[in-house]
Amino acid sequence: MEINIVQEKLAKALSIVSKVAAGAKAQLPILNNVLIRVDDGKVSLTTTNLDMAVVSYLPVQNSQNGVVTVPAKLIAEFISNLPRGEMVKLSANGEKVVAEAKGFRSVINGALADDFPELPEIDESKMMKIQISVDDFKAGLSQVVGAASVDTTRPALTGVYFNTYEGSLYLAATDGYRLAERKLAERVETEVKAIVPVSSLKEVLSSIGEDVDEIEILLDETQVRFNLGEVEITSKLIDGSFPDYRQLIPKESDITVELDKSEMVRVTKLAALFAKEVGGSIVCETKVEEEVFVVAAIANEFGENSSEMKVKANEDGKVTLNSRFLLDAVNVLDGKKLSFGFANRLDPVVLKGLDGEKVIENYVHIVMPLKS
Amino acid sequence: MTDIWKDVLAEIEQIVPGAQFSTWFTGSELDSAENGTVVIGVPNVFKIKQLQVKYNDIIKDALIHNGIEVNSIDYKVSATTKSRNNRNTIPPYPTTNETPATIKESRLINSFQTGLNPQYSLDNFVVCSNNDLAASVARNIIDAPGRKFNPFFLYGGPGLGKTHLVQAIGNELLRRDAGLKILYTPISSFYADFIKSLQNKKGDEFHQKFKKLDVLIIDDFQMIMNKDASQAEFFDIFNDLYQLNKQIIVTSDRLPNQIKSVDERLASRLTWAGAYDLQLPQFEDKCAILKSKAEYRGIEVEDEAIEYLAENVKTNIRDLEGEFERLLAVADLKGMTPLQIINEGYVSASRGKHDKVVSAKQVVDKVAKFYQMTAKEMCSKSRVAHIKNARQVAMYILSKELGMSTPKIAAEVGVKDHTTVMHGIKKINEDLKLNFGLRDQISAIREKLYE
Repeated sequence: MEINIVQEKLAKALSIVSKVAAGAKAQLPILNNVLIRVDDGKVSLTTTNLDMAVVSYLPVQNSQNGVVTVPAKLIAEFISNLPRGEMVKLSANGEKVVAEAKGFRSVINGALADDFPELPEIDESKMMKIQISVDDFKAGLSQVVGAASVDTTRPALTGVYFNTYEGSLYLAATDGYRLAERKLAERVETEVKAIVPVSSLKEVLSSIGEDVDEIEILLDETQVRFNLGEVEITSKLIDGSFPDYRQLIPKESDITVELDKSEMVRVTKLAALFAKEVGGSIVCETKVEEEVFVVAAIANEFGENSSEMKVKANEDGKVTLNSRFLLDAVNVLDGKKLSFGFANRLDPVVLKGLDGEKVIENYVHIVMPLKS
Repeated sequence: MTDIWKDVLAEIEQIVPGAQFSTWFTGSELDSAENGTVVIGVPNVFKIKQLQVKYNDIIKDALIHNGIEVNSIDYKVSATTKSRNNRNTIPPYPTTNETPATIKESRLINSFQTGLNPQYSLDNFVVCSNNDLAASVARNIIDAPGRKFNPFFLYGGPGLGKTHLVQAIGNELLRRDAGLKILYTPISSFYADFIKSLQNKKGDEFHQKFKKLDVLIIDDFQMIMNKDASQAEFFDIFNDLYQLNKQIIVTSDRLPNQIKSVDERLASRLTWAGAYDLQLPQFEDKCAILKSKAEYRGIEVEDEAIEYLAENVKTNIRDLEGEFERLLAVADLKGMTPLQIINEGYVSASRGKHDKVVSAKQVVDKVAKFYQMTAKEMCSKSRVAHIKNARQVAMYILSKELGMSTPKIAAEVGVKDHTTVMHGIKKINEDLKLNFGLRDQISAIREKLYE
């Protein structure tokens, strides 16, 4: 096996795949390795941690067929520290890989490719395919991932739920205290119900290259593959059922106020400072007569804080929320203004972005109130 | 099964090195082994490939050594993780609202397009005091379609199960005789199709299509109001089918003679075999409905939780079931039991709209609107019979629903003296015993109040 390639290209590809190599937690040492395969001028670099796999394809000149594995982190760091613009030559000699650039040479102990796990293939008979613009995908995904749970005792909530409903594709995530849903595409012809692990999605987000406009998502019952141009990420799906969340989103709220987003972020942060002692709980209140929306926190030790925003509300109301959840939600809303809807102390609070006066309907975030 | 698999694994462990073994075989299980086809459950799709490619022969040998016949081995993702806590997973359940997907299914099953949704069956129709008469008629029709109860006219407010019951009849008839030509259609689709057929000059074809039916089920008949041409067409079809002793089933939210612009002859024919109504369920009925729903889905729900919903959802069965679904969804989401959720207070809130306090003004407006007069007219001193009657109904509802005192009611409906109110309420109470029409009117107004 032999490859000759420009340093930057190899370094970039290795940095993407080496993140997925299982690292110290792997029981099988070979899972720390990257599989380098050369097949008639096509080079692929593969790593897997058995929850997901990444393959990066590289165009090369002057190559010789062959396959070998080497520790991914080591070779990634070695290549990335070589001078830019140099041609790098990788060649295999049994289990050893020789990496050379002008004046630099190292021999890395690898392992035979036979032990490297074969990757599962998507079942084409049951495969569903979705194509989506990178910008929509990135924007939509970043609006929902934050709401997913990190509690592994409920695996279904540790993923993002890709689901079709009435012909549109939605992404949803919840940790049981808040829920985010984003409509990603309309007129989707396939039926999808798949929970994709957040960890895999984060990898997808960080691996999308700048020159990619559209990504292709392939799904079967057990796995999903994201085709990102030169990078291909395959992940298992989470086996479980996602809560029937649509019923939890109130269709309308009794009290709705329109707030300036940056102002809302500021007052929430201020209140959060004082709310630390009480588990982040802050009180949001509408006062019709005074025409204000008040955000307040009381901490016996530090003192108290209360900020007001001028706003016309249709009814007096009060709700207690976790400041961090509120802040997370406000931060991911589109638009300069937002609509804050609630009904009474225990109804979910509904947050949506506003484009001028118009509600941005493709995204909704709900936060469950705290009992006060 | 588990024991055999343990033995198999023990044997494999002898051959496969430790780290490899624990990586690839941990969490696997023997799912089934029948007639030489062995299915092995593996917790992760990545592991399947490896077992297939690298360890298939080793697994096969080990299985055979342990006395299992092996021709082929299938692997699937199943996992010990799946069997964790069944309470947490809500299986897909037929909801009362029909979904396009399931209609498609029903069309696949029966080459003739019946329009029936197979999810509606008599098994999941809970019979209780509010609907037992209608349900027994339904059973009678299933045993002898086109005979004694033809046409079957079923009426009642929204969300009480009309559609469920009539579709269940259709499904059950179809189950007993797959050759029957059954058509379920809301009247709105009927007249839309009819108009289309006229535009395409295929009116005759339309008529022939219906004439071939063995069972015609028409839903939401009240929507026919002011559609005279469609009504005439329906009347024709009705007569043709009736003469051939074909079963006709019609639902509506009110009696035919209360539907504006329905021909008197048609109205009387529709109720030849009687009119059967579905009432709002009582507390016990509501409990029974929810219990059967929980049982159907294999979910344990505390009695207290069921009683709580039965007591608090006052509108109709659809809302009751909707609320129940929501409760289960919240419970699922938070990993708690339904009762815990109620005690936490999360559900009471989302149910707020039913608990909304209806104001006296709303009652007055709704009653006046129902009797097609203005609130001002109704609350005048007029002694014209129908105005006076509406006024008394308003008094009755103000007293029953809002628990208002008679002097307050007097002020609301514009009478001087609270004794007039007392008299009015008493009169309605008496009338209710005999006058079924009035009973229907009042329950319709009640529904409108909480809409």
